[in-house]
Amino acid sequence: MACPGVPSPCPAHRRPPGSGRFSLVLTRRSAWLLLTVLLGAVGCVGRESTPGAPAIMAVDDLGDTLRLATRATRIVSLIPATTELLFALGLGDRVVGRTTWCDYPAAARAVPSLGDGLQPNLEAIVAAQPDLVVLYNSVQNVAAADRLRAQHIPTVLVTTDRLADVPRLARLLAPLGGRAEAGDSLARWFEAALDSATATGGGHTRNVLVLAWDQPPIVIGAGSFLSELVERAGGRNVFHDLAAASAPVSLEAIASRDVDVVLVLGDTMPAFARRAEWMSVPAVREHRFVYVPSALFSRPGPRSPEALRVLSAALRAGPLP
Amino acid sequence: MTTRQWGALLAGTILALIAGVSVGAVDIDWRGVAGALSAAPTGEAALVRYLRMPRVVLAFLVGGALSVAGASLQALVRNPLADPYLVGLSGGAGLGAVLAIALHLGGPWAVPLAAFAGALGAVAVVYRLSVVAGRRLDPHILLLGGVVVGAFAGSLMSAVITLASASELRSAMLWLLGGFGMASWPAVAVFASYALVPLGLLVGSARGLDLLTLGEENAQYLGADVEALKRRVYLSVAALTGAAVAVSGIIGFVGLVVPHVMRRWGVPLHRQLLPAAFLAGGAFLVLSDLIARSLFRPLELPVGVVTALIGVPIFALQLRKSLR
Repeated sequence: MACPGVPSPCPAHRRPPGSGRFSLVLTRRSAWLLLTVLLGAVGCVGRESTPGAPAIMAVDDLGDTLRLATRATRIVSLIPATTELLFALGLGDRVVGRTTWCDYPAAARAVPSLGDGLQPNLEAIVAAQPDLVVLYNSVQNVAAADRLRAQHIPTVLVTTDRLADVPRLARLLAPLGGRAEAGDSLARWFEAALDSATATGGGHTRNVLVLAWDQPPIVIGAGSFLSELVERAGGRNVFHDLAAASAPVSLEAIASRDVDVVLVLGDTMPAFARRAEWMSVPAVREHRFVYVPSALFSRPGPRSPEALRVLSAALRAGPLP
Repeated sequence: MTTRQWGALLAGTILALIAGVSVGAVDIDWRGVAGALSAAPTGEAALVRYLRMPRVVLAFLVGGALSVAGASLQALVRNPLADPYLVGLSGGAGLGAVLAIALHLGGPWAVPLAAFAGALGAVAVVYRLSVVAGRRLDPHILLLGGVVVGAFAGSLMSAVITLASASELRSAMLWLLGGFGMASWPAVAVFASYALVPLGLLVGSARGLDLLTLGEENAQYLGADVEALKRRVYLSVAALTGAAVAVSGIIGFVGLVVPHVMRRWGVPLHRQLLPAAFLAGGAFLVLSDLIARSLFRPLELPVGVVTALIGVPIFALQLRKSLR
């Protein structure tokens, strides 16, 4: 099937993605993602004009084909990133279920929460009478999706880890709600906005440490959209050599990585800045922290270009070694 | 235990310590390592001095403490399966750590202190359960009580994890898997000064532990104040293990296996077994941590994974040899 307009992931993007809340299920999930890539399951959407045939078709990130007779009108979205995206696509009024973490836009909070999205509550989903369920592409959710489909509830499994997932999923999800043009235009806008916000050369490249956790130290690797944002903001992720989205590393390795600044998602000095062992990392000892609002950086989505601008400015203004 | 055995044990321990400071996530040549001993080290030498050395020393102390605690507990309950974490400590410590993280308790020491408090809380409940009729401490109830209290605390921990924000609590689970990533000289100083008292009490109880292995009644006849001894040993084991959890999470297997290996190596008497187990356990954990932090560098394995992967084959081989 042809997928016009769907950007195929470049080889650099074919890494086990993952970020934020899902960071520690990476290892288990990466096998699935690898499988996804091998199956060539780039989500793509087409329409068949044959009378009587399903009106809308989509292939999800696990390679399963979804057929909808009519556009979806009751959508359960159990990923914060897709909830945000559905609202941005003008499909917000059709979202009838979300996760506890879906906090953006504000209108999303009015939608009933159906749990944390990691182990979906099937009864609650079925009770919401959805005609489309969006689940994160993880091992637990594959079983959940099978059971939902057995109940004749169309379900898609998608990955939302990298910046390229935003336009890709816009083009995947919008047609399912009958708003293919909105998906296309959001995708085009996103790519252009991201490119125009991307720092273009010049100046000193900051070596940035992005921590997911400090006890034990877990760093963000190249597989995370946070790493992509850092690189686009004119920085360099000091752990860009780690393919995973996040990984536990030795403090010794961090200390030897020549960190210029530490990215802090939030506005308060992290507690580890006062721990003796972290004094061996010069950037921490000298409090070279760059603070950015955590809400903008919690997931890849339509706000990522704005996040990129904020990060670029923060890195430019940030403390110099 | 012969002089030759002591010599071998000491030499092995020193070699392990030297290997521990020489190898790590970063390649540092011997000049850098030697430079760490200078008055004001800089660059790589500072890395060795302030990150690697405290880490090696802390691993050594924790390994030694866990082995002594395991050997003493096995004698106390006369059960070779006794592991210091079995007495409800790990569940309690886990609950404490997870609560501290879920409630966003501030401060750099919040998580370790909460784990320590949780461990001691669980021990207090087990102890209360085990003191029968207000006086006697029943070793069997101690084990059973430890298992059920540990399971209860573990379930509470799972509930908190399910209900609270996910990413931080997954990290808490990783913290509980154990490791020496947060080792520093202040942490070494705190642990060493704290562990001295329970370690001293246990070594001082060595003769009593020898008598206990003959059975409580026989120990009584041979002049031991059995009830006081049991209480002293149990509380020392709990205090020691609780402190180990606070600085390094839950590192299984050391306290279970090292005492067995040393006993089968020909050290049956506790006067010798406890110091020998201290050295062997310390060296074992130093080497396990060395592997954990350098095998897949810069990635780091939880040290508990390594202790089991190395410890089980050694233990199985020895078990087989002794049965032949």
